[in-house]
Amino acid sequence: MTETTSNKQAAVQPENDSKGRRVIIRTVGLRKSFVMKGVVTEALRGIDVSIYQGEFIAVMGPSGSGKSTFFNMIGALDSPTVGRVFIDEVDVAQLTAEELAYLRCHKIGYIFQSYNLIKYMTALENVTTPMAFGGVMPDEARERGMSLLELVGLKERWHHRPIEMSGGQQQRVAIARSLSNNPSVLLCDEPTANLDLHTGQEILELLQKLNKENGVTIICATHDHRMMNICDRLMWIRDGHIDRIADRADVHIEIGGIDSH
Amino acid sequence: MKAITIADQPWLSMKRTVKITIDGIKYRLFRASVTVAVITLAVAFLMNILSESLIKRNVAANTRERIQTSRKIYDWSAKLSSPGSPESIVFETADASAESDIYKENQQFAALSDADMASFQAISKKTVFLINFFEDLDYAKRRSMIHRAEGLGILEHLANPEAMETFKVALSRIKSIHFEMPMDELDKLVKQYGTITDITNKILAARTQAIAAVTAKLNGRTLLQALADSEKDFGATIREAGFIFDQQKTAPEISTQAKKLLDTLRLEKSMEIRITHIFPPKEENAKPEKKVEFPFRQLLAQQANVLPADVNVVMMWKHLESKKFAARYLTKMHEVEQLAQKSLTTEADGSSIVLEGISAEEAAVDDLTADRMVELARGRTENAALVRAERLTLDAGKGFMGLGERLAWLLFVSMLVCGIGITNAMMMAVTERFNEIATLKCLGALDGFIMIMFVLESCFMGLVGGIIGSILGGIIGLSRMLVSFGSAFFTAIPLGDLMLGMLISILLGTLLAAISAVIPSYKAARLAPMEAMRVE
Ligand SMILES: Nc1ncnc2c1ncn2[C@@H]1O[C@H](COP(=O)(O)OP(=O)(O)OP(=O)(O)O)[C@@H](O)[C@H]1O
Ligand SMILES: [Mg+2]
Repeated sequence: MTETTSNKQAAVQPENDSKGRRVIIRTVGLRKSFVMKGVVTEALRGIDVSIYQGEFIAVMGPSGSGKSTFFNMIGALDSPTVGRVFIDEVDVAQLTAEELAYLRCHKIGYIFQSYNLIKYMTALENVTTPMAFGGVMPDEARERGMSLLELVGLKERWHHRPIEMSGGQQQRVAIARSLSNNPSVLLCDEPTANLDLHTGQEILELLQKLNKENGVTIICATHDHRMMNICDRLMWIRDGHIDRIADRADVHIEIGGIDSH
Repeated sequence: MKAITIADQPWLSMKRTVKITIDGIKYRLFRASVTVAVITLAVAFLMNILSESLIKRNVAANTRERIQTSRKIYDWSAKLSSPGSPESIVFETADASAESDIYKENQQFAALSDADMASFQAISKKTVFLINFFEDLDYAKRRSMIHRAEGLGILEHLANPEAMETFKVALSRIKSIHFEMPMDELDKLVKQYGTITDITNKILAARTQAIAAVTAKLNGRTLLQALADSEKDFGATIREAGFIFDQQKTAPEISTQAKKLLDTLRLEKSMEIRITHIFPPKEENAKPEKKVEFPFRQLLAQQANVLPADVNVVMMWKHLESKKFAARYLTKMHEVEQLAQKSLTTEADGSSIVLEGISAEEAAVDDLTADRMVELARGRTENAALVRAERLTLDAGKGFMGLGERLAWLLFVSMLVCGIGITNAMMMAVTERFNEIATLKCLGALDGFIMIMFVLESCFMGLVGGIIGSILGGIIGLSRMLVSFGSAFFTAIPLGDLMLGMLISILLGTLLAAISAVIPSYKAARLAPMEAMRVE
């Protein structure tokens, strides 16, 4: 840890809410607009949200509502047009390139909606690449990579390249990859979208286990209603706004109200 | 609960970097080979132009020297038969170095001291400049400046103050003409016209005398026959007459060339030889019957399968390159020699044979052998190649690196084409991979890693393309030059220069590939990952 970093962290005291929960990701007035051929699309129109350490939050919303854009912002993968993102109370905009790389490599795991696997690498190589970037020795990386592939049920396919696998299989490789450096936060963009009921269920159980046993904070965009059974909180996004945030317990009381959103 | 701490990302080891890079290239082998092919093509083009230019330059240098040497015999024949003109003396003096034979010879003929000769050379140079200046003008301008004066006459003309005034007025009026000689120098030069004519006349007189002395010793030989003998007493005759004719250097050269020329002329003359058979009239009052035969023409016609009338000298030389035919030709020459000795032969049937087109002396075969004939024939093709080479390399020596203006320009253009081709291919290849760059960054790759990856990859591709391309281009260049220069080419392969050219092409290819890959990849690596992914 460099001196600058520790200074940055020391500068702001971790903010705990009334229930004593520690805020791990916080956004302030987050806006993002894309300009394409002179047409401005406002994907996010002011998002203020705090996500707590160790919680499992499901993000829901219709297609095009800005879920993926929101994920890219809080995962330090894209720069907001207006507003700020704090990760553990450090302003992401203040980080150096090396610190950003470290953060993306070790602390946050990403499961992309379009998988974004590297085409010329085998499943195993895809899973071990973040480990290599993180300085893990090749032998150890290989061993851990294999056990991660086993976890998602693809141990036998470790030498296959992405084009040789089905969409669901690729998604599972992407999930294994996101776990390669034991992240503190897992950002999942529709992790079960391409999976059959059974495999989807297994992945959900895996996420739940990571959340409960390892204390990984999970932020998960989804259309999958089963997610509601395991998440702590639900957040609805519509047209780049937060439509509603509610604890699961509260949502369950008003049965039937969910689908309307 | 898992907390977030932040630190600096460590660097990836070089070994892993290289492995990831090579895996990438292997996977995209087809795409990579297309890129490499473009680089190969560009470098091959460059190397081809470069190798051809270098060879042409060398051929030009070699041929000029060889052609000059091979023409010495003509120079000496001319020199020993005519004293030349005042202008020719001025021109040769202006060009000659103080150590050259011609310089010393003229000094002796004019009986000048070293200092006087040097000043005569200085005046000659200025005179040559002046004459050339007017030579290059078009007729109308020239006429308005110096009327109809020519050669040394220009000096004589300008020595007249009125004529000088006309010239100066005309010069100031025609703005487009730049006369580089200062006017006071020109004034001085025209005053020296008398000196120049004095010296040239002296030299001419001395030469005429010397030529007379040499001619007196010809003893019925032609000049060429005598020159063939110049290693022996005729060489001494030339020296005694006052010419500088080096026993060690010039004499052997001249004598060989003279012999070669004599043999060549003798063989070419054989084309004209006729044998006429005259048969006595069978009836009274009838005219005698004649049958004309061209023995050598018929021999060649038979060999080449054409009509005797179509036979020419070029054909003769071509067929004489074969030793077998040369031997047959020689046999025929011996027959003719025997015929020539008896001026008129009468056969048993009363017919007679007359040999025409050659004298008894000329028909003598002497020491001519089949091998010699083959050698002469081959020498001719070589000479033809030299002349051709000289024509093809006329502009060499000027322009960039002495490559000739046209070639230098071509080289510049090909470098440009090479550069654009490689840059385009590499940029395309990198732009296609922005998505991959973005993904790698999402997984924690440092910008530096991405740069190194692309530098490695592009250098590798540039190197492979450069090596294949430069070899390909070199081979194409060499074979093309071999075809156009023939034998003159072999003595002119500039191996060192070619190696240097190859190195330059490979370096240029690699460097361009690296730069044109690094620029876009740097651009992409610096962006936030998702921004890079959005770039089209
Ligand atoms: N690169 C881009 N350029 C222009 N507009 C974009 C870009 N990316 C996203 N958008 C726009 O931003 C809005 C939000 O997109 P986003 O991908 O975040 O939606 P989403 O909620 O993830 O949808 P889905 O459920 O279909 O994945 C959309 O209207 C989309 O058109
Ligand atoms: Mg999305």
